[in-house]
Amino acid sequence: MIRQKKWYPILYMFLVTVFFSTILISFSRYTRDLVEANRKLAFEKAVLKALSIPLPVTASNMDWHNTYLEKIKEPQEDLQGVYIYKSDDMVIGYALPFEGQGFWAPIRGVIGIATDKRTITGIAMYEQNETPGLGAEITKPEFRAQFEGKQIALQGNPLEIKQVTEELDQHSVHAITGATQTSIRFEKILNDALEKWKTEFLHGDNRQ
Amino acid sequence: MSSNKSASKKIILDGLWGNNPIFRQVLGICSTLAVTNLVINTAVMCAALTLTTALSCFTVSLLRAYTPRRIRMMVQTLIIASYVIMVDLYLKAYWPEMSANLGPYVGLIITNCIIMGRCEAFAVANPPVPSLVDGLFNGLGYSLILLAVSITRELLGMGTILGYPMPYFSTLWDKWIIMVMPPGAFFTLALIIWLCRSIQTTGREKTS
Repeated sequence: MIRQKKWYPILYMFLVTVFFSTILISFSRYTRDLVEANRKLAFEKAVLKALSIPLPVTASNMDWHNTYLEKIKEPQEDLQGVYIYKSDDMVIGYALPFEGQGFWAPIRGVIGIATDKRTITGIAMYEQNETPGLGAEITKPEFRAQFEGKQIALQGNPLEIKQVTEELDQHSVHAITGATQTSIRFEKILNDALEKWKTEFLHGDNRQ
Repeated sequence: MSSNKSASKKIILDGLWGNNPIFRQVLGICSTLAVTNLVINTAVMCAALTLTTALSCFTVSLLRAYTPRRIRMMVQTLIIASYVIMVDLYLKAYWPEMSANLGPYVGLIITNCIIMGRCEAFAVANPPVPSLVDGLFNGLGYSLILLAVSITRELLGMGTILGYPMPYFSTLWDKWIIMVMPPGAFFTLALIIWLCRSIQTTGREKTS
């Protein structure tokens, strides 16, 4: 009997592994393009949202993708990873990607900046894993809308996230109650990106 | 035939209530604590777990006559992992937002003790169809408790259910932030286990 042989468990394990691996590998190959497309689309949507480019609620994924291709120029070498929003060769805005460690996992997103290089047109996140209902509220429109029209401060921190009881000015927004850790980290992530932006584009070689 | 019927009825009732994986066997607690602050996340997690438990039990049972005893755990883990990876890939490809919400927890279904518990306790010694039913209803028993926990947490912590504002809770109720935080899950789960066990004991005393 083959099943009494010493090598039978090895052969059996080998066959079972081959069988399940084959299924998984084919399924993973089959979905790979779709997974990759989803990842790209999430980023493209974030760029468009940060730049406050309006799309109807009914817009399909294809609409988002086409709008992105039509309006956004990928970063060139001298632009430090900044995406440019152009229409008829006129620059209308900049999209500055940012990333950093959140409370649980990295937060990745995009800041939209107007042509004056100081006014924020919006922010959007395409990757985060903060606590649902608390830290994850940073992705909600109510929180993100606060950033629209804010100015990057020339002195001190470019932006501030303040407690809900504090008064706001041109450079600050309200934090999310109960999500202190996320708010502190998110403020740091935004400011790290904006500091770089400030040195490069407000004081540096890319000033014009 | 009738003994067959009563046997499957027993399997169903045991999975849902009599031997419920959460409050009787106290298995799979990590995901109970981790993904229960929003009902929608919980529902998807429950569906994923129920599906993988049912299919894993079915497959383990199908192979039970050929699997050498000494390596059966390895084979079971392989089978469970294959199904979980398939679910994970499916979510990544077709429901990327949900995949992002659940983060690493879908992958962690592999280590959920309920699945291996059912494979070891039932599927290795029973034919495929009863094993499938056993896995399915243990998954549903798990879902029952998880949904109860998540409805309690979302309602008291955010005043909503499935994201819809509930009367009274979304307006007058002073939201308990702790319910949305991880500790809220401990309290809610403990109270629900207590409640269910009390009902069970009272029922048993009455019948005896």
